[in-house]
Amino acid sequence: MKPASRSLLIAAWWVLLGAAALLAQRALVVSSDLRSFMPPAQDADQKLLLDEIGEGPATQLLLVAIGGAPVESLGEMSRGLSAALQRDARFVRVLNGEISPAALDPALLPYRYLLSPTLDHARLDAAFLHDELEQRVQDLAAAGSAPLEELLPRDPTLEVLKLAERWTPAHVPALRAGVWFSPHDEALLLVQTRASGFDPAAQAEAIGALQEKFAALPGGAAARLTISGAGYIGMRVAAATRAEAEWLSALGTLGFVLLLLAAYRSAGVLALAALPLATGALAGIGAIVLAFGSMHGITLAFGFTLLGVAQEYPIRLFSHRRAGADARTSVRGVWPLLRLAIVSACIAYLAFFASGVPGLEQLALFTIAGLLAAGAATRWLLPAVMPPRFNDVAASATLEAARAWLARLPRPRWLPWSVLALALAMLWFAPTPLWQNDLAALTPAPPELLVREGELRSALGAPDVRYLLVLEAADADGVLQLGERIAAPMQGWITEHLVDDVELPSRYLPSLGVQRARQQNLPDRATLAAALADALADLPFDAALFKPFLDDVDKARSLAPLSPQQFMQSPFGARLQAMLVQRSAQWYGLATLSGVREAQQLDLRVQALGGHVRLLDLKASSEALIVQYRARILLALGVALLLLAATVAVAFRNLARAWHVIAPMSLATLLALAVLRMGGVSLSLFHLVALTLAAGLGLHYALFFERRVADAAEARRTLHATLVCVLSAVLVFGLLATSHVPVLRAIGLTVALGVAFHFCLSIQMAPHGDATHAD
Amino acid sequence: MSASPPPAAADDSAAAQDAFVARLARPAPATTSYTEVRFVHLLRRPLVLHGELEYGGAERLGKNVQTPYRESTAIADGAVTVTREGRAPRKFGLERAPELQALLASFSALLGGDALTLHKYYAVKLVENAAKWTLTLTPKDAGLARHLRDIEVDGAGNEPQCFALHEANGDASVMLLGGLAGAKLADPPTPAALDALCRAAP
Repeated sequence: MKPASRSLLIAAWWVLLGAAALLAQRALVVSSDLRSFMPPAQDADQKLLLDEIGEGPATQLLLVAIGGAPVESLGEMSRGLSAALQRDARFVRVLNGEISPAALDPALLPYRYLLSPTLDHARLDAAFLHDELEQRVQDLAAAGSAPLEELLPRDPTLEVLKLAERWTPAHVPALRAGVWFSPHDEALLLVQTRASGFDPAAQAEAIGALQEKFAALPGGAAARLTISGAGYIGMRVAAATRAEAEWLSALGTLGFVLLLLAAYRSAGVLALAALPLATGALAGIGAIVLAFGSMHGITLAFGFTLLGVAQEYPIRLFSHRRAGADARTSVRGVWPLLRLAIVSACIAYLAFFASGVPGLEQLALFTIAGLLAAGAATRWLLPAVMPPRFNDVAASATLEAARAWLARLPRPRWLPWSVLALALAMLWFAPTPLWQNDLAALTPAPPELLVREGELRSALGAPDVRYLLVLEAADADGVLQLGERIAAPMQGWITEHLVDDVELPSRYLPSLGVQRARQQNLPDRATLAAALADALADLPFDAALFKPFLDDVDKARSLAPLSPQQFMQSPFGARLQAMLVQRSAQWYGLATLSGVREAQQLDLRVQALGGHVRLLDLKASSEALIVQYRARILLALGVALLLLAATVAVAFRNLARAWHVIAPMSLATLLALAVLRMGGVSLSLFHLVALTLAAGLGLHYALFFERRVADAAEARRTLHATLVCVLSAVLVFGLLATSHVPVLRAIGLTVALGVAFHFCLSIQMAPHGDATHAD
Repeated sequence: MSASPPPAAADDSAAAQDAFVARLARPAPATTSYTEVRFVHLLRRPLVLHGELEYGGAERLGKNVQTPYRESTAIADGAVTVTREGRAPRKFGLERAPELQALLASFSALLGGDALTLHKYYAVKLVENAAKWTLTLTPKDAGLARHLRDIEVDGAGNEPQCFALHEANGDASVMLLGGLAGAKLADPPTPAALDALCRAAP
């Protein structure tokens, strides 16, 4: 083929890949929804947990502090920010300590008599009104009664303030300049986002909007805004992890390019080396789009990691190119082994399909489709576009010296057995727990962020993100009724200091029954007017002042009770929306808890209430899910290893030869595991995926070293290909191993160690290390 | 705030003012009876309250209403406790009530002869007229000024006699202290009559 048409072909391939990538980008929905990645829920708690991961009301809270300005102007900024955020649909509610009549939607104001508990134990009769109005006179006698004067005509019994007080968290910061302040002269706000706390993209958008609105406030540019909360920390951690991964990958790619240039002394291979991997990745994504429609972000990350094996295919092709032979002839030399590696890996990944976990099925499909496409591209497309003139790597004298040295290495039969014994001993004596169940520990937040979060959370009395009280009933009103029934024992928990506060949904909306009972207690207009006149006899108010009050009570008498659906749609009802969820036929109330002191005691008390109320420990439950998930992965990996061994044995029709491939691969995996464990590493999913990638690479080394070759030149080519593969893997993943982010370090260190061990052991355990001794 | 040119008798020199305020200092604890007339636009007639003020030293004040109802307000250590007959006491931090805090500061500073605190919260204007004097305190802070127009203290010699608080919305409170607390008032009392009472020569 002419060079020009070859370049044209390469360009066409890249253009096709680019177009496919564009299509894939449009078609692929990358979800950050952990649900699809987790095993199906086994019980109601797990189902709820899966639904609530990232959606719990407590995780939607942003904790905000404004400092660096005089108290009075900080107060102004707090009020301004609160007003701006309340107008924005991305935020559900803003609390900053302001008790304003706007605590209730103006359209719902007449409902205050149904929502406030006043009428449970009182009637709007002359005696009650007299008592209330007498207090109002006394309230007015104190200086600074101006805000009260605005409320008085419509709401002489101050129901709106009673509601606002009822809806304010039990433990709130001190008020200064009319808003919450920390002891360190910062105005404090509690902002609930609509977006879930574990959706970093949506959180980033909400946080950006908040920062923008703050900067637009008078004095906002000069003051200091601090944000914290689960969503903020999640966003920061995701951004830091991405930034570090991108930087290290860029560095790794550069190193890989230099390595390829040094290994093949040809710039032409650069355009070719990435083609199979890119083709495979796009094929994988295409398969996912067709089969599933959307793909989880973690599946994508794990999938790309596992697909890294395909980077070896073109390297094998380049290194095994003989001088003078054309590319098609060369590829026929290595293809049987490559095909065996690909087919056995694909068969092994079939085990993931049996796991029943959507995330793992996606992972398997992605990897299998990717490996097949990358293999096919290497076999049938790549040779067509390879340059006709190519350096035969076998000509290198250095390589021959290295090969000869490696060939002369002693290969005592006892060595693998001692390595096995050593690895088992290291595993046995490892100093740390085997598993790391806390996924958050792999992407930890910077300590100063956590300290700040702790300070703000306790200053604001914000709810705990770990615990959730779950109320279960057949309908939304049933949940509210249940909340009303447990209100008394709950008060007991607070008195006993088991917990500081429990925010039940019924705090915001009484059940329909309770509302009707209160409505029954409202007098008709004539009766109320008479009672009011009676009450005002010796008080310095004009009866005419209270006409708005008479109107509202009249209206409240004929209102249909406020349904949860109605209330949830009102501007102030969003808080209830976050606390009432429907799953299949059941309704759940999610009550947040703040200041949980005695979780175990509390759990016992909750259990004593009967089965419809449960204390959900989100951390323990999600860790239990992880354990289950891991058990399935381990099982899948075990089955995969058996399938792999069987495939190799069947292909070789020779158990001894299969043993020479499987043994070094298994031993190296075990050794990498042992060294990690000895170094104090507790294992996570990420380590397992990294070990699987390393094993896939190790399979190649073992297969190629096991191969009987006719001459030393071919042995040199095998060594060259393997060295390029090992060096590139160690380089790219070794860089990741230097990361500050534990998850990147976990993947990097595991693959780098694994690859090094696979290389050493597959050379050491090659059956005929000295067979190619003589040329 | 105090940009208007001082009248002939006004003594705006800071040192003279400070010396004047220092003369007002009295030993703690001290108790004095008072009569307060409160004008609120929502009420048909002004409220007239009698009771006792207790001064317990810096930032400790008690105000006990005795008629027409009983209520005690105790301010100590940054917290306010309001106790009304037959009801549970209400306690809240002083920071929740900025007006009260400013009021306490002015009271406490006057009774303690503490000009420094007074200057922190208010622009101070002193007008002396023979034995009588009027001290006008205008809030410096914009937030406080939204609620409080000014405080006027009238007195004779070393004795404050009237304490008039004018709120921004037009409501007002005039507190007659010491000898004036027992003065006979018109029914209903008018601001003008109270003013005259406060400014009259002893």
